[in-house]
Amino acid sequence: MNCSDCKELIGALMDNELEATQAAAVREHLAFCAECAVVCEDLTSIVDACKNGSDEIVPPNSKALWLRINNMIESEVKPAPALPPPPARRSWGISILRFSAAVLVIAVISSTVTYFALRNYIQPPTDDFTSRSAATQTTFEKVLSKIGLVETPQQARERRMKEREAAIEYWNARVMTRRSQWDRVTREAFDRNLQVIEESVKDYTTILSQDPEDELSGEMLDAVMNDKMNLLRDFADL
Amino acid sequence: MPLRRENVFSRQTVVKTTMLLSVVFFFALFSGEASAQKRFSKNYPAGQNVRLRLMNRTGTVTVIGWNKAQINISAELEAPAANIVPQNLSGLIDINLLRDNQDREIGSVNFTIRVPYTAMVDIETRIGNLSVTNITSALVRAHITSEGAITLTNIEATNVAAENTIGDIFFDGTIREGGTYRFSSSKGSIALRIPFNASFKMMATAPSTRNISLGSFANADTNYLGDGRRVLGKFNGGSATITVTNQRGTIAFLGR
Repeated sequence: MNCSDCKELIGALMDNELEATQAAAVREHLAFCAECAVVCEDLTSIVDACKNGSDEIVPPNSKALWLRINNMIESEVKPAPALPPPPARRSWGISILRFSAAVLVIAVISSTVTYFALRNYIQPPTDDFTSRSAATQTTFEKVLSKIGLVETPQQARERRMKEREAAIEYWNARVMTRRSQWDRVTREAFDRNLQVIEESVKDYTTILSQDPEDELSGEMLDAVMNDKMNLLRDFADL
Repeated sequence: MPLRRENVFSRQTVVKTTMLLSVVFFFALFSGEASAQKRFSKNYPAGQNVRLRLMNRTGTVTVIGWNKAQINISAELEAPAANIVPQNLSGLIDINLLRDNQDREIGSVNFTIRVPYTAMVDIETRIGNLSVTNITSALVRAHITSEGAITLTNIEATNVAAENTIGDIFFDGTIREGGTYRFSSSKGSIALRIPFNASFKMMATAPSTRNISLGSFANADTNYLGDGRRVLGKFNGGSATITVTNQRGTIAFLGR
């Protein structure tokens, strides 16, 4: 009889359900097999405890029992799968050409960002003698203008003109509503001054239609449009 | 007898009636004059750093600096007379006829204002002449929205601005180091009389007439741009900044 057969028959032995020959064979095995004897002993104590009705089941050698259980658990735990081999280290070796290209790209991007930041942060004073014009544009600004990143002086002037025209339209509407309440002197003075300004607007518009690059006329057109707006605004209050 | 009494009574009645009519006539005459032109006068104590701000609608404004710690405002008001309510705001005398006469028709108001010669002067009108004289301070500003002449004489200020649409501008004063001087007109003549040794950089623009006379200031440091429509110049180091723009008129620099 081997241990496996013995362990299967231990329960039947304790319940006196084995035939005499089988019971003798089991007892014989338990006599020389310490492992099976311990199992039989443990099982006997459990059955006895159940028969006695005790709530607490205490094995005769609990420490040894837990040690065996622990050994069994550990023996049944599967070994951890082997870790995949670490990837081969990537090579960062770059050529001088790549490095130069990267430096150039970074320089261009940072220059562009710095330019726009400064341009937006530092507004040139309106009375600056060197007001922006095509003649005063730097090469870098001209390049940016060509590729559409910044507006040209002509585009800036057209944008300002549209803004001014919108404001003039607004103030003109207000003047029209107030005009009937003015006295004759005020009406005549307003008309005279508006006519002078309109003549200047007409002159500069004609010059610019012939020579859009004439920055001085563009600047003067800005100024007289501003004068016109101020005249309308101030007289709208009367 | 009754007839005689009637004649006497009639003569007395005629005399009384004549006297009464005369009184009524003179009263009506003087009251009519009073409504046609009124006067306004007020004094304010002022420190050396006082600032005068005046917004007129129509009429002349004359500001004169004097050696008194006092501001004297006097005005002649044409009918219908305007309300004048000066405000004394901690160092600022503020007179604003547009604010004080909103939505009401008013006649011309001609101001004569005396201020300490160190006062800052900021005057503005819609129509009418402006004159400022004998001021030594940080600011002199004269602005006419439409038409009128601007005369600034004996001025020694760090910031000077004179603007109108139609009318002459005349400045006679000194140029302070680092100062800013701006003169602008659409139609008229602009003349600046400044010391020979003044240190300033200048930009004068007369696009229509191209008539920019530098007089004794014409030297090698001038640069003509845009076919003579603009002149840039730098004199004696170029400390102050003078900007002159006359859209349809002339510009003249006079040395003194």
